Amino acid sequence: MEDTELEISPAPSDQNSPSLSISSSSSPSVSLPSTPSSSCGSTQPVAPLLGVINEGVCELSLVIDAEVAQRACHEVLQKVKLQQVGSDDVTDLHEQTDPVVPGGPSGPIAAEEEAKPEGLVPGTVKSTRRRQKHNPSKQSWLLRLFESKLFDVAMAISYLHNSKEPGVQAYIGNRLFSFSHEEVDFYLPQLLNMYIHMDEDVGDAIKPYVVHRCRQSISFSLQCAWLLGAYSSDMHISTQRHSRGTKLRKLILSDELKPVGARARREALTLTPFCPALPHSTATTAASGSLVPDHGLSPSKRTHQRSKSDATVSISLSSNLKRTASNPKVESSQDEDSSSSSDSLEFETGPPVRLAPQREFIKSLMGIGKRLATLPTKEQKTQRLISELSLLNHKLPGRVWLPTAAFDHHVVRVPHTQAVVLNSKDKAPYLIYVEVLECENFETSSVPIRIPENRIRSTRSVENLPDCGMTAEQRAGSFSVVPNYDNDDEAWSVDDIGELQVELPELHASSCDNISQFSVDSITSLESKEPIFIAAGDIRRRLSEQLAQAPTTFRRDPEDPSAVALKEPWEEKVRRIREASPYGHLPHWRLLSVIVKCGDDLRQELLASQVLQQLQSIWQQERVPLWIRPYKILVLSSDSGMIEPVVNAVSLHQVKKQSQLSLLDYFLQEHGATTSENFLSAQRNFVQSCAGYSLICYLLQVKDRHNGNILLDSEGHIIHIDFGFILSSSPKNLGFETSAFKLTAEFVDVMGGPDGDMFNYYKMLMLQGLIAARKHMDRVLQIVEIMQQGTQLPCFHGSSTMRQLKERFHMSLTEEQLQLLIHQLVDGSMRSLTTKLYDGFQYLTNGIM
Amino acid sequence: MSQLDKKAGLLRRTSSSKKTLKEKVVLMYDEIFSKEDPAKNAPRFWDELFLMKVNLEYLELKLESVDEEVQHSQANINALFHYCIQALGEEHPIKVVNALQTLCALFRGVHQKNRSASGFDIINLLMGFDKAEQRMKDLMERLDSLLCGEGSESLKSLCLKLMLCLVTVTDNISQNTILEYVMINSIFEAILRILSDVSSKHLHGYDPVVLLALLVNYRKYESVNPYIVKLSIVDDEPTLDGMGMVIQQALTEYNRQFRDKQEETQGGFFSTLTSMVGSMFIADADEKLSVQTNEAILLALYEAVHLNRNFITVLAQVRSNIANSSTMLETILSLCRVVMNNPELPLDPNLQTTNLLITFLKYASILMQDTKDEHRLNSARLCLIILTCIAEDQYANAFLHDDNINFRVNLHKMVNLMVEFIVTHMMKDFPMDLYLRCVQIIHKLLCYQKKCRIRLHYTWRELWSALINLVKFLLSNETTLLVKHNIFHLALLVVNLFNMFITYGDTFLPSSNSYDELYYEIVRMHQVFDNLYCMVLRVSTNTGQWKEAASKVTYALVNIRAIINHFNPKIESYTALNHISQLSEEQVLEVVRSNYDTLTLKLQDGLDQFERYSEQPKEAAFFKELVRSISLNVRKNVSLNTMSQDVLLKEFSTIS
Repeated sequence: MEDTELEISPAPSDQNSPSLSISSSSSPSVSLPSTPSSSCGSTQPVAPLLGVINEGVCELSLVIDAEVAQRACHEVLQKVKLQQVGSDDVTDLHEQTDPVVPGGPSGPIAAEEEAKPEGLVPGTVKSTRRRQKHNPSKQSWLLRLFESKLFDVAMAISYLHNSKEPGVQAYIGNRLFSFSHEEVDFYLPQLLNMYIHMDEDVGDAIKPYVVHRCRQSISFSLQCAWLLGAYSSDMHISTQRHSRGTKLRKLILSDELKPVGARARREALTLTPFCPALPHSTATTAASGSLVPDHGLSPSKRTHQRSKSDATVSISLSSNLKRTASNPKVESSQDEDSSSSSDSLEFETGPPVRLAPQREFIKSLMGIGKRLATLPTKEQKTQRLISELSLLNHKLPGRVWLPTAAFDHHVVRVPHTQAVVLNSKDKAPYLIYVEVLECENFETSSVPIRIPENRIRSTRSVENLPDCGMTAEQRAGSFSVVPNYDNDDEAWSVDDIGELQVELPELHASSCDNISQFSVDSITSLESKEPIFIAAGDIRRRLSEQLAQAPTTFRRDPEDPSAVALKEPWEEKVRRIREASPYGHLPHWRLLSVIVKCGDDLRQELLASQVLQQLQSIWQQERVPLWIRPYKILVLSSDSGMIEPVVNAVSLHQVKKQSQLSLLDYFLQEHGATTSENFLSAQRNFVQSCAGYSLICYLLQVKDRHNGNILLDSEGHIIHIDFGFILSSSPKNLGFETSAFKLTAEFVDVMGGPDGDMFNYYKMLMLQGLIAARKHMDRVLQIVEIMQQGTQLPCFHGSSTMRQLKERFHMSLTEEQLQLLIHQLVDGSMRSLTTKLYDGFQYLTNGIM
Repeated sequence: MSQLDKKAGLLRRTSSSKKTLKEKVVLMYDEIFSKEDPAKNAPRFWDELFLMKVNLEYLELKLESVDEEVQHSQANINALFHYCIQALGEEHPIKVVNALQTLCALFRGVHQKNRSASGFDIINLLMGFDKAEQRMKDLMERLDSLLCGEGSESLKSLCLKLMLCLVTVTDNISQNTILEYVMINSIFEAILRILSDVSSKHLHGYDPVVLLALLVNYRKYESVNPYIVKLSIVDDEPTLDGMGMVIQQALTEYNRQFRDKQEETQGGFFSTLTSMVGSMFIADADEKLSVQTNEAILLALYEAVHLNRNFITVLAQVRSNIANSSTMLETILSLCRVVMNNPELPLDPNLQTTNLLITFLKYASILMQDTKDEHRLNSARLCLIILTCIAEDQYANAFLHDDNINFRVNLHKMVNLMVEFIVTHMMKDFPMDLYLRCVQIIHKLLCYQKKCRIRLHYTWRELWSALINLVKFLLSNETTLLVKHNIFHLALLVVNLFNMFITYGDTFLPSSNSYDELYYEIVRMHQVFDNLYCMVLRVSTNTGQWKEAASKVTYALVNIRAIINHFNPKIESYTALNHISQLSEEQVLEVVRSNYDTLTLKLQDGLDQFERYSEQPKEAAFFKELVRSISLNVRKNVSLNTMSQDVLLKEFSTIS
């Protein structure tokens, strides 16, 4: 039916038709039960397609799903061919060679690409494609490439970006479904930026995938909404395209994109409130067989993978729905479900319960940041932060999570006294620690029950006050005086002492030769009246010994509260917070930390982080031991976001200020003598990380490299942070920092001087790293290039950003020439006067050493 | 028109009967106090009654004047009480308001009349013995539902006033037999609810907290008081927070007043004059009053700290005044419609960076500046008792000593406060009790620090010199003080504080220098210790009342004397050797440092043991008196407040 319509209608008017035809033609072939849905949704062209593919994903394993997608792609391509030639001559659909269609690589070149395992770079494909414009036999080769095993997300994104063919774009849009979520998630900023800023065909190709994923996952929905908001912000409000991005954002935030099952269930709920789990579970069991109805009733034990858990998502979500519904019958009918999700304190909000708690959580964190910025001194900021967080604590736990974390969890508590305000001149970024409970899936696992802050003691009080229950009834009859109750001593004091004394030997087992032990003994054996003598000198000696033993912590400095907090080893901090936490005893307890930035644009950071990740994976793939540490960036809007802090690391500035030592001496102090194993491994770490970051600084032109932006971790790695000035932007355009990267004499000293082996190793690493990066240059360029679209980011200022970036990979140089180049760069950086100047400038203006 | 006519008619009739003009409600009251059932002729009598504005004075007066006719009017009074409770369930708020106020008058009037009568008689008069239980159960349930319901805040407020009124009708709360029913039908949860509700707790002021404190003190020592039991196990954070917030507000308000007054007096001559004149009439009275009202608040704080272990966390928690001040602003705005366009206000650094403990310490220090007045003395004593409880609680200590809390001024402030007190109260009328508590608080803190090896970065020297001065004072006023006090006990405590530092200094002193300084201070002030030793030796060798107490001090001084006897010759020889007449501090410290090894000290038992605080036999009398004073004060103030409540409700009636 629709196929024929398609053929008749003129090509430009039916942008959506290919997808429509996919759904109608592909569904019978897999024999899905839901064919009616594709026809009923005809008012909105996208919906039916989604319905079908969505269920395909839930019900079929990934392999079959990929087949479906590929089959669909196949047909799209054929359709494209059809359209191209449709007007004049109807060619055979199954004919493999079509002379008119442009954009297909020629046979020999495609074969060449297949023969070369990793040499398949989108850029070359693009160029070859251009070359092939006049070559007749090609279409099938492109298709073959797309269907080959080598076709990965990077290529898909590249083709999506470079191809002008709606058919190819639609095909790739469908191919996205066959990639794993993690792979595609890496390119999410690129996808969404294309969706916002590129033409409609690309948008239409991407949208189904995005919508589909949004239905599946809350975190994906939010991620999309935030990114869409952030990347739309540079546009003029009037533009029509602008409204496309914001429209999708609104659609996501309105929470229309619930899992399909949930919507069905909501209807079921209103009809049959007393057996709500039944209609849905039968529907799903019929299709998948993997879901037993029991699963729906006990959301706590759940074992399927995320891709399959759609049905259970809908169940726990519907229990959310039910709570907001005013029908008391429904409320009382399923106490099992409600106890799992409504026991905990979720943020009380309006109807879109699915996304609301998390949005509310993020909003309050941002609100704190904004209010902090108004306070003048750091001390006030810290105090305010702590008190604000203690308020936030009252609303936890809830179905909220830290998007920067690597595993699923629920946030249960913010240990507010641990939070610190970070060093910044006029904004107020802050670091918080967050206690979470790991769970299988934050969308379906039940939210942990709130444990009051001071629970430790309430158990005892209850034991000690047994009569609270009896009073009302028993005393009602008579006025008889009950014997004195107020046995103060017994109730409160005795075991306190016991507890204390039991605790202590454990806490200070290391110093058991002390006098306090002595005195405890002497209390127990009071009979022996023999006086015990002690030497005053011993007391004095113990005092100074114990003071000397105290670990090298940084001094508390009201002007720099973060230094102490960051110096504390992460494990120790975790242990300490865990001990103090009422949730600490739970096996899934974890501690996370996050930096909340308010008033800063993190889009550049995100870009840099993506490039870092890409380079890291390239270096891993090429087995070059360069060390870098990309950290997670979460863009919430164009002026706010979150950063995953690097644990066990302090900035060089803090190191120097607190220790008053040179970097080498600090290494010696922390890791031991130059010949010790500790020092050597720290030095190796230092060199490997230096090489990695030197390359990155060079390639990305990272500026503002003062010591406050370079961290040193406990293993000796340096870690660059703050990629606010990259590519074409530089701070205040002062023209400082003309050197390729920061390499001070101090760094070289740690490497063992400019003549040492380690310094040569450093240069060698850089060379290897650059060669590897050059080999995969396109994977890096692609990330940057797509983000250039429609942006006002300062790093893309000017027109030559991409060209210059490409030039820095020096494709034309031989390896010998590259080696020379590295030497020049290193020498230049070492002798760079501007680096020193810039450090001096930072010291004068910001007090950074 | 018709209304006017009616009014005119009414007037004419009363004037013709040549009687004084009486309100309708008054006439109705009269009917109640007659022998007949007022509802006999007018079936809607009770309905109408609660539509009338209550005339509190008249009703109370009437109740007081009831004497012989008690027997026959009792039925009517019972009925009135019954209908009051019924009216509490009415939908119309005016009726509820009137019923509440009538109940207030009933309780008060009956008690004023029958001051000497037993509680049972009063219950009989109000409700009748047979029905009392049911009536009170109804009343409490109604109050409970009013307090917990969604109704107007002023209604809730009035409920609280009624409860306060009921609780304070007798001077001695434990003699108020009606409260037995309040114990059985607990409204504890309702009070907590009010406290935990952010929006309402600012409107009710201190009432819920004061009410709770008073209820907790009902027959505290004689029977099981469910309020004590329940208060001790509350662990709901918002509730405890709310309670803490109310207390903090009250104390902050007092602190602010004091500061304002100080600033005023620091102004020019004219302002001093005016303020003097002003304070003669208003400020002074105001201030006295607020110390007295704060007794109730302090009592509430004490009960919370003493009974509820979870409250400690609230105490040390950083209070987020931001939220409070903004909600307070909102309520102020909505109530007074005052436009406060001062965006700086919620960001005032003084406002936010505080917690209950700091506020409390500030309050205590202001209070302790002058302890001549009895109320102030009592309050100061209560403050010290609260601090004792805090210093004893290991969780409170853990909070106070937590090194990882970013601003940890509390403990310094606490020690400072003690030092300040020690220095400033050496006067003829020596507050021995307060001194004992004060020194014990320090001792308890030191014990904790020693146990947990916490090194407080405090210049302990200040404490040492304060303590030495105290000993000096005791010595010079020995004869006058001995008439009233056992100064040897205090001296023993002080000497033992020194012994703590000497023997266990390694576990809690912040630096090795401070240990040297301790010796320096002892050696420098050796005269005082010598004198003390002479005195206690003299007393302990004579037979007398203080023999034993003094000999304990003699024993305790053993290490201090060893130190003095060890270092003094060394210093002298150093002086002689180097031909210096006066050694500098550094030189003395040098001598001390180089001669530790030849000094042997004796380990004394039980230095880190202390007597734990217990309210029961020791402080019971104090609390009894305190509660009595609070009751009187609350009773006095509640009446005033009810009147202003009346005004507020007039507005309320026009709305509805």
